[in-house]
Formats: sequence, C-alpha cells, structure tokens
Amino acid sequence: MADAEREAERTIAMSFLIRYISDFLVGTGNALFFLRDVLFCVVRGRIRWAEVLKQIYEQGVQSVVIIALASFASGAVLALQGYVMLNRFGAKEYVAQLVALSLVRELSPVFGSFIFSGKAGARLAAELGTMNVNDQMLATRTLGVDPVEFLVVPRMVACFLVLPGLIVFSELVGIFGGYFIGIYDAHIPSATYIHQTLRSIGYVDFFSGFFKTLFFGLLIGWVCCYQGFYTRGGSLGVGQYTTKAVAFSYILIVISNMILTKLILTFWG
Amino acid sequence: MIKVRGLSKSFGDHVVLKDVNVEIKDGEILAILGESGAGKSVFLQHLIGLFRPDQGTVEIDGRDVTHLSERSWLELRKNMGYLFQQGALYDFMTVFENVAFPLQEHTSLQAREIKVKVDEILEMVGLQEAARKYPAELSGGMKKRAALARAVVLGSKIIFCDEPTSGLDPMRSRDISDLIQRTSRRLKCTTVITSHDVPNSFRIADRLVVFREGVIIAVGTQQELLASSDQFIKEFIK
Repeated sequence: MADAEREAERTIAMSFLIRYISDFLVGTGNALFFLRDVLFCVVRGRIRWAEVLKQIYEQGVQSVVIIALASFASGAVLALQGYVMLNRFGAKEYVAQLVALSLVRELSPVFGSFIFSGKAGARLAAELGTMNVNDQMLATRTLGVDPVEFLVVPRMVACFLVLPGLIVFSELVGIFGGYFIGIYDAHIPSATYIHQTLRSIGYVDFFSGFFKTLFFGLLIGWVCCYQGFYTRGGSLGVGQYTTKAVAFSYILIVISNMILTKLILTFWG
Repeated sequence: MIKVRGLSKSFGDHVVLKDVNVEIKDGEILAILGESGAGKSVFLQHLIGLFRPDQGTVEIDGRDVTHLSERSWLELRKNMGYLFQQGALYDFMTVFENVAFPLQEHTSLQAREIKVKVDEILEMVGLQEAARKYPAELSGGMKKRAALARAVVLGSKIIFCDEPTSGLDPMRSRDISDLIQRTSRRLKCTTVITSHDVPNSFRIADRLVVFREGVIIAVGTQQELLASSDQFIKEFIK
C-alpha cells in the first residue's frame, strides 16, 4: 500500500515536472516568435514614430525623477562607504574613482535598469494586459491593423532608445551624489574630485556600461510587452502578468549582466 | 454572401462548434440566438478570422477565406466592422479619435475630411456631444454607439455585432438594436448579430439562427421559428 502511494506521488511529481518544463519551453518559443514579429516590423520600417515619441515621454521623461533620486542616493552611499574604507589606508582621494567607475561600469546600468523595469516596464505590461483583457487587441485586428505594429513596436523601440539616455543621466547624477559627499563629508577639494573622476573613466568603461544598457532596454521591452500582450484572466491576470513581467526582467537583467560583463572583460578589458 | 460549410471547432476536449452550415445573404440582418456558451461568439469570430476552424470552410463573396494568413485577413477586415460586447474602444483615445482611427489608418483623407466624416457618423449614432469624451466617461449604451460608429466608419460591407444589447436596460437595448438596423439599412451592409435578446432580435432581424451546444438547430424567419415544434426553441423564444 505504502509502495503504491509512493509510486503515485512519484508519478504526480513527474507529471508536474514535465508540465513545468513543457510550459517553459512553449513560453520561450512563443516569446521568441513574438520578438521575431517585432523585429520583422522594425526591419520593414513599420515604426510609428509619433507613437514612439509619445512612449519616450511616458517611459522616459516620467522616469527621470525616480531615477535621479535613486542615483543620487546610490552615488552618495557609495562615496560614504568608500570614504570610510579608503580613509583607513589614507587614500580617500580615490573615492572619486571608486564612485565613478562603479557607477559607470556596473551600478547605474544594472540598478537603473531595475528601476526602469519596475516603473516603465510594469506600466507597459499593465497597459497592454488591460487592453488585452478588454478586447482592445482583438479590436485592433478587426480594424485591419496589426496590434504588434501599432501597440508593441512603438513601446519596445521607445524602451530601447530611452533607457541608455536615462542611464547616462543616472551616472551623472550618481557621480554628483558622490561629489557632494566627497566635498562636504570627506573634505576632498572640488578640483581634485573632478580631476580624479574624469581621469578614471575611459571610453571602455563608459561604452561597456552603455552597450549593456542597450541590451537591457531591449530585454525589458521584450519581456514586459510579451507578458502584457499575452495576458489572460481579467484584472487578476493583469496583476499576475505584470508581476511576472517585472520579475522576469530582473532575473534576465542579472543573468545577462553576468554574461555580458564576462564577455566585455574578456574581449575588451 | 457568406457561406459556412461543415464548420467545427474544439478547444482541447471541449467541442464548441459541430458541423455548422449556414448561408448569409447580402444585405440581410441575421441574428444568431442561443444560450450562453452555445458557441455563438466563437462562430462569429470565425467569420472575421479571429479563429481558424478545425474543419470546414468559410467563404466570403465566393472567396474561400478559411486558411488566409493574418496579413491577408488584416486587408480583408478593412471591409468589415466588428462590434464587441463591451465596445473595446481604445481607452487612451477620445470618442472622436476612436472613430477617426480606421480612417487615418486605411484612407488618404486629410484631417479636415476625416473630421467631416467622423462628425457625420457621430451624428448618425447620436454622439456628437460626446466626441471629446474618453470611453471611461461614457455609459454602456454610449460605448456601444461609439463602437458601432467606429465599426462602420469605413463604409464596411459586413458588420458583426457580438451581444450588442448585453448589459443594457430594455430601453437602451431597443435603442441600440434600432440603431444597428438603421445603420445596416442605410449602409446596405450584411449584418450578423449574436444575441440572447429574443424580442429585439425578432424586431430587427430578417432571419434567425438558433444554436444549441455548438449545433444549429433552426434557421428561419421569425414566423418560422414561432411555428417550430422543437421544445427547446419554444422554451427559448417564449
């Protein structure tokens, strides 16, 4: 009897595992087909630039304040921590380099993308999801318009264009946050701090972070639009798919950041 | 003319449509009646290519459209209008913008010409005053009027209406049914309506189809249905 129960439990566990794996594979395949459809529109030049500009405003301009606050705080905290540690070795002037390099190479691209995903990405998924459950996607098709071209492409293109700009802005504000602490807390002369900052950032440092950001922009747009586009289950579904969109974006940003960092360090230094 | 032959559709193990055969004549108003879950909406969505049948064919004006690609369907749908149960208006556009949208997409009309055309259609559906409002500011009946205006603004030759009176009080149901009939006659278009609103369907439809569990159990005029000896039809239209 106990054997039979154990066997039944094993069968149930296996069937769950198989279903999970098959769902994952089907989901990944669908997401890739979705990306193909988007890229197909982009390659064919089917981009509605007026919509893209509107999305740039909604995703980008409306994210500026939150990005600025978070970046300023990150730069300031980095400088505070760095100052405490470097001061032990009598090297407090290097705070400027620590802040600038950390922000430009890693922190701003990754944490800025997290913030962007939580704000603009969630908005994309919720917007498309709501349109989906309210039949607006189907309505678009019945009006003879491709919903991917009309609703998804402008959002993804805007995401791709706006995130690098936001991250450069975030780096500048973060460096200013570090400068603020460096000047008023660590008492580093202003000219020294600025000189150290400018001297420390090379093209490679800046562009390695910048290219990552381009990739993250595409990733966030893709994941969030895909989740929104395939939302099911009414208002409850909108909440679930939006949460999934943000969670998947975070996971993919972290994993791809690891891979991209390794590639950049290997081939570019 | 729309000809449907042997149409069947299942979702998993659930059979939704079974061997459906029907012909819809040019210019007629056909009402599809049936209980909730009888397959009416799924049938309607096959006619506009939102679903592909497992078996059977759909012919529109002599052209087999069963296996058209989505891109071909997008072209074909420019001559069709679809009124969704809840309107499905874009909530980020005003009523005017919603109605103007198909004209901006599919015609080369200038902004001034579009305005004239949209104003004319909005007047026809009695929504001139609500042109600058957003869908969230409209009542259920107004949403359906606006959605109907959007569905016919291109001069569609076929209009599909999915439960146009659901969620409306009897007076609004009557208004929207009359409006569909007037619009259909004025534009001389073929109109297919799914509904379980028997009185209004009887009032405006030329012919009626009764669905039960995915099967058509009766096709005919109001008189023919009233004369039916089928117990389900008697109960349903009572």
